[in-house]
Amino acid sequence: MKQLANAHPRKRFFLEMFTRDLSLEDCVLDLIDNSVDALHRTRHLDLSPPLLAELEIPKQAAKAKLPSIEVVYTDLEFRITDNCGGIEREDALNEVFSFGHSAGFKGGQLGVYGIGLKRALFKIGKHFRVESKTTGGGFVAELDVDTWAKADEKPEDWTIPLEFIPGVNADAAAGTSIFITRLTDEVKMRIKDKTLEAALHTAIGTTYAVFMDRCVRIRVNGKDVRPMEIPVGESAAVTPGHKNISFENGKVEIKLIATLAARIRGEWSSERAGWYVLCNNRVVLAADKSELTGWNSGMPKFHSKYNGFIGLAFFQSESPGLLPWTTTKRGVNGDSVVFREARVQMLLVARGIISFLNEMYPSDLYEQPQQREIADAIAPSEIRSFATKPSSDFTFARRVSALKPTVRVQFDAKRSDVERIRRHLRKSAWGASRIAESTFNYFLENECPK
Amino acid sequence: MPEIVEPTKSYLSVHYELRSAKQVERRMLIDALHTLGEDGFRISDYQYTGMGSIYFVDFVLFHKLLNITDMRSVEYDVEIRRRVRFNKPFTFVKIFINDVADVIPKLSVRKRHLLWMDYDSFLSEKTAIDIVLACSRLTPGSILLVTVDVEPPIRNGNPQKWKEYFDEEVGHYVPPDESFAKSNLPRVNIDVISNVISSATAPRGVEFFPLFSFLYRDGHQMLTMGGMFVAEDEKKRMLESRVLKASYIRTDFGAKPCEIKVPTLTRKERIFLEGSMPCADGWRPRGFELDEDDVRAYREIYRFFPVYAELFL
Ligand SMILES: C[S@@+](CC[C@H](N)C(=O)[O-])C[C@H]1O[C@@H](n2cnc3c(N)ncnc32)[C@H](O)[C@@H]1O
Repeated sequence: MKQLANAHPRKRFFLEMFTRDLSLEDCVLDLIDNSVDALHRTRHLDLSPPLLAELEIPKQAAKAKLPSIEVVYTDLEFRITDNCGGIEREDALNEVFSFGHSAGFKGGQLGVYGIGLKRALFKIGKHFRVESKTTGGGFVAELDVDTWAKADEKPEDWTIPLEFIPGVNADAAAGTSIFITRLTDEVKMRIKDKTLEAALHTAIGTTYAVFMDRCVRIRVNGKDVRPMEIPVGESAAVTPGHKNISFENGKVEIKLIATLAARIRGEWSSERAGWYVLCNNRVVLAADKSELTGWNSGMPKFHSKYNGFIGLAFFQSESPGLLPWTTTKRGVNGDSVVFREARVQMLLVARGIISFLNEMYPSDLYEQPQQREIADAIAPSEIRSFATKPSSDFTFARRVSALKPTVRVQFDAKRSDVERIRRHLRKSAWGASRIAESTFNYFLENECPK
Repeated sequence: MPEIVEPTKSYLSVHYELRSAKQVERRMLIDALHTLGEDGFRISDYQYTGMGSIYFVDFVLFHKLLNITDMRSVEYDVEIRRRVRFNKPFTFVKIFINDVADVIPKLSVRKRHLLWMDYDSFLSEKTAIDIVLACSRLTPGSILLVTVDVEPPIRNGNPQKWKEYFDEEVGHYVPPDESFAKSNLPRVNIDVISNVISSATAPRGVEFFPLFSFLYRDGHQMLTMGGMFVAEDEKKRMLESRVLKASYIRTDFGAKPCEIKVPTLTRKERIFLEGSMPCADGWRPRGFELDEDDVRAYREIYRFFPVYAELFL
């Protein structure tokens, strides 16, 4: 006789397992993603064109008018408020609080898996209140997580009470506020640690380096987050490696760029060197120097001589599920077919820079390669300037005369040893370099004759 | 400090034309390419990229015997760049004074390629990268050949030292439990190169079809591995090609490589032997001493055996 085994989900599983490996930074980024996706739904912001090229860079005054996302926390409460357009009632009823999206749902370009918001709420505290208003209406969802978790018998227990409230009149006022209280111990501890704010600034500034101050402002505890600069360089003597490819019948577009870094205070920064991977313009991997992006497998092992390397890999798609990000969106799924194929091309695009840097630092210290001059003349550039450039191979204007047929040989020797040779040669008038030269020639003639 | 053996500048010390085992290898490659040409691969339209050094022996043969005319030679030793240009054998050969790693990423994706990375050095991190680049770039139908020195990479070393060398340079690709005994070094090289090729080819929609695995020595023991990148169509044609019947072909890098042994014979002996070829297994000439192994070795290579006379053109 056939029996049916119970395979029902349990709330405890979602509350404990889904949040387990998540950091507070991951949660905050997930919440910000939700706000940015609201811009996509309500203001038609398209995050997929590479580098958002057509998006003007607003002037200082206009920046203040951009939609904003405010993250504020104390050790009692965590709050994220935006005026990015809000959540429609219908989406709230059917999509926003369910675990995973329904097949046809077009929620945005950063939300992929339909777990980010829930995961973040559960991770941060035991009580939350989500309030959202659009011009079409508003709602409030409020939940005491512990009480909710206790009722886990029937499908109806898997619902969250919503209350409809009036909407707003103007688009600009539409937005979402999330208040989380009864913070979890883990989160309280992070908040007490005063490094959290800096960590959030870095995580947000890195992740949204391309969007920030162009389509949205983000503040943490009232302070503006500054976008990270990806220090790409530019020089008339250098053409960057640049390639566009498409996968999955054009559903995923990839733009690869490899170029020399701009110097920061006269130096290449090892912290900034490496590959940057972006999915729909969200940075998911920054300055990567690991095998994931090909170092030590098709590229050489990373070494300080490659501090001048900057690689950018933009993955763009209308269907974010096709992009190679991990579930936290702070890493790349190295096994994804799209990424593995792209990595093949990344190696090829990177090659010219690698060789340039190899030649720039020859094993022979006394050479002055032409690459040094070129590197010294590199000026900082805008990554956006790449958006419209055609494909190219990395090249640099090599001077034909760059190769000198001689190298300078120079070393320290003990005075007594030089003296011994001098006596042996019976050339008391010869200086040390003359003596060194004669020993060199002697070796050449006797040990390595033509 | 272990002493890493300097790569030999073989082109300056050895007349390339006079290396008989290498010449047998070249002739076998040409034989295979010729057969592939008859079986639907238009080898004469391929672009050959090689390292012709200053003798360009491979270029001369590939042009004269296979009618390849789209050729480029890569040389990274800037100290001989003028000699390389001076010795360019035909007008259509393009010379690149550059590292092969910088030429590969720019090879046309609209052409089929024959790429021979004919190193005179040991397998290293650098050569592994070159191979990865080739596997990343070459179009289906293209043929890749790689030659490396398989002598111990460290002079006065021992298996432990050689293992350290391989771990340091290509550790990624060294199979676990590999023995680094001197006699097994060719196998280590084969396994590593085979792993480099398969891991670099896997993410693409193509497969690498092994064809060549030659071991030979004129001075140092050398290994040449090669094969074709195939999509479904090429694979089908390859499986039907008569090239697979040739005794020197290896379609599995796990198999014993084809060892090219060139027995030392006088001219008179050679002419006599030739008249008895191909001979049955176990046959030996009655008129002079020659053991079975030498006869067998000769039987494998007589079609490809270069004849040297005093005259040197
Ligand atoms: C063994 S010789 C080539 C012999 C030739 N293919 C033949 O069949 O007669 C190798 C040549 O390649 C050059 N070479 C070695 N590694 C190279 C690299 N990575 N890039 C360019 N040239 C290289 C060497 O300097 C040398 O001149």
